[in-house]
Amino acid sequence: MSDVGFVLAGYGVILGGLAMYVLTLLRRLRTARERSLRIRKEADAAPPLPDSGR
Amino acid sequence: MRTRLLGIGGVLAVIGAAFFGLFVVPADLNQGDAQRIMYVHVASAWIAYMSFGVTALAGIAYLWLRDLRLDAVALAGAEVGVLFTAFTIWGGMMWGRPVWGVYWQWEDPRLTTTALLLALYLGYLLLRRLSEDPARRATRAAIVGLIAAVDIPIVHFSVIWWRGLHQGPTIGSPDKLLHPSAPLQFVAALLLMLGAFTLVWGYLMIRRYQLARIEWQIEEHGRVGRISAARRASLAAHTAPAGTSQAAPVQESTP
Repeated sequence: MSDVGFVLAGYGVILGGLAMYVLTLLRRLRTARERSLRIRKEADAAPPLPDSGR
Repeated sequence: MRTRLLGIGGVLAVIGAAFFGLFVVPADLNQGDAQRIMYVHVASAWIAYMSFGVTALAGIAYLWLRDLRLDAVALAGAEVGVLFTAFTIWGGMMWGRPVWGVYWQWEDPRLTTTALLLALYLGYLLLRRLSEDPARRATRAAIVGLIAAVDIPIVHFSVIWWRGLHQGPTIGSPDKLLHPSAPLQFVAALLLMLGAFTLVWGYLMIRRYQLARIEWQIEEHGRVGRISAARRASLAAHTAPAGTSQAAPVQESTP
């Protein structure tokens, strides 16, 4: 492989990896936000805890 | 919105710095085009040091203040640091093959201690998955993060303390920063890439911190849900009329 090939491999993997990490992180964040919202809605919709009478 | 602007700014800065390093700065007389890899390799290494430094400082602060937000900062630093350490190693290998003739040499102290740094912080991230109790997990992680941070100065000074394949620092001290042993254009390309990576690093740290906080909230919801369900079951068992059972009938086992 020529020097240019190594330069392309170096920049390609580093910048491409960075872009992939950003996209993965944003997708993880969106999924977590949706899950958190769903859990909160379910918690709001759940019947209140019955009073033990004590 | 400001975080998004930081991200957009970081992406544009990285594109600009890569363009400058690849097309504007001339090739090195001895190393040829391979020298261009240095701009991403060295900048990645500095960002990795900074990330792990943040993890160590946030860990100390957590042990002192017991605030779980600091644990989220430490986690963000470790994950982003692992990413940039992997980039450092990859960039070094891509530069080493055309210049040194080898991708890797285990006898070199800088290379080996950097690989150890990556392994230590991968271990830190794995350790965090072992405990579900946030406080216990944060305490263990803070201690491991501090122990792992000992390797950061060892990596940095390894080229001064021991002899190896890796060259000494080009810009490692205030004196070398003012009078670097590399041409000014090369130093400008490196500093531009460092600035661009720092913007992206800031963006990644904020987003990873936000993710850690939401994950922690989901864990908390799950814990509260389990406690509520147990309490409901307990109350139902206490309020059930005598002689009736809430439990499912037990099936006789076949011989």
